[in-house]
Amino acid sequence: MSEHLISSKEMAHFVASGYLKFEDMVPPDLCAACREEMETNSGYLAVGTPFEETWPTGTALGDAFRLPRVRGLIQSLVGPDPLYDHHAAHLVKARTTRGPDMHQDSVIDFREDYFDIQLSFFPADTPDEMGGTFLVPGSHFRNVRTGEIRGYQHVVGKIWASCPAGTIYVWNTRVWHGSRSNHTDQDRYMYKLRLNPVRPQVRLFDTTDLGDPEIGSILSTNHGWESNDHRYELMKRVELWRFVSGQPDFDVGERFLRRREYQPQKGAA
Amino acid sequence: MPAVQDILVLYQTSPALDVAPSAWARYEASKGTGIKDLVEESQPPYENAMAAMRDGWQVVQMSEYKHRSATDGYELGPFPYQTVLSRFSEMQPEEG
Repeated sequence: MSEHLISSKEMAHFVASGYLKFEDMVPPDLCAACREEMETNSGYLAVGTPFEETWPTGTALGDAFRLPRVRGLIQSLVGPDPLYDHHAAHLVKARTTRGPDMHQDSVIDFREDYFDIQLSFFPADTPDEMGGTFLVPGSHFRNVRTGEIRGYQHVVGKIWASCPAGTIYVWNTRVWHGSRSNHTDQDRYMYKLRLNPVRPQVRLFDTTDLGDPEIGSILSTNHGWESNDHRYELMKRVELWRFVSGQPDFDVGERFLRRREYQPQKGAA
Repeated sequence: MPAVQDILVLYQTSPALDVAPSAWARYEASKGTGIKDLVEESQPPYENAMAAMRDGWQVVQMSEYKHRSATDGYELGPFPYQTVLSRFSEMQPEEG
């Protein structure tokens, strides 16, 4: 399994941007079988139970989320034994338009040193005009109440899924996102699976490159919308990186967290 | 046709009228009662509120500065500031 874990640099991208994109995760024949199953796939399974026990076997979707690379991705972020949270086969039918839809999933989530992941699997080629899910990279530290951000029709740096069949996006469930218009003659599916960790999410990824000097600049990524808040975003990213990398003293550049932590006035007289 | 109000909101991380927006929204009542097909825009319609003012938009609200405390001074959430701009345009029949 270790050969399929994500690298430290990929993990840093996940911390900074809240998502990763992997093409060619699911082979074409399995994609086609999954796409067929999605037509009749609905309803929650047992929320909060071990994924391995709950997720169906002997089905295309059962197999797709157990592929070695997918398992490695899941293990890197939430460990080898996650809980099933929920799933959904999100459908935007052919020639269906969407207005503003920006939201954060479920309900507001303040848990510190914790994140759920969502795997978004695209079983068919999804060009721009088909309306792949949009994301606001880096927005996962901004807790909001579900759809109250619908008014943010456009955000600088917004991206959307535009990908070949078999692509999986994995994202922190707090990333702002939404659906888009499908201007093609084909229905568009995005299959979503949410998972919870059962252990502290510390060093679950491949730490071979943990000391890579590029990690600091990855964490400092500017997605275009941060502007005056970039330093405050960076502080949040560094806090999460400290946790997931098991480096409680990690910091970058001017070391903004030190502005809170360096307090000699509180020392013994 | 009568002229009706269009609104443009620029969402910002500081309240000044000369800063670049982080996000934006259009409420163009002259065209209809809501956006049924959101067309992606990669760049804001104006570099800042002042550029919009030079194009005929009037500022109807700019944000106040926020007091920051030790408990919430580092917290993040929705974009903290917004500038609301208004312009009147001739009403068009609503599509669909």
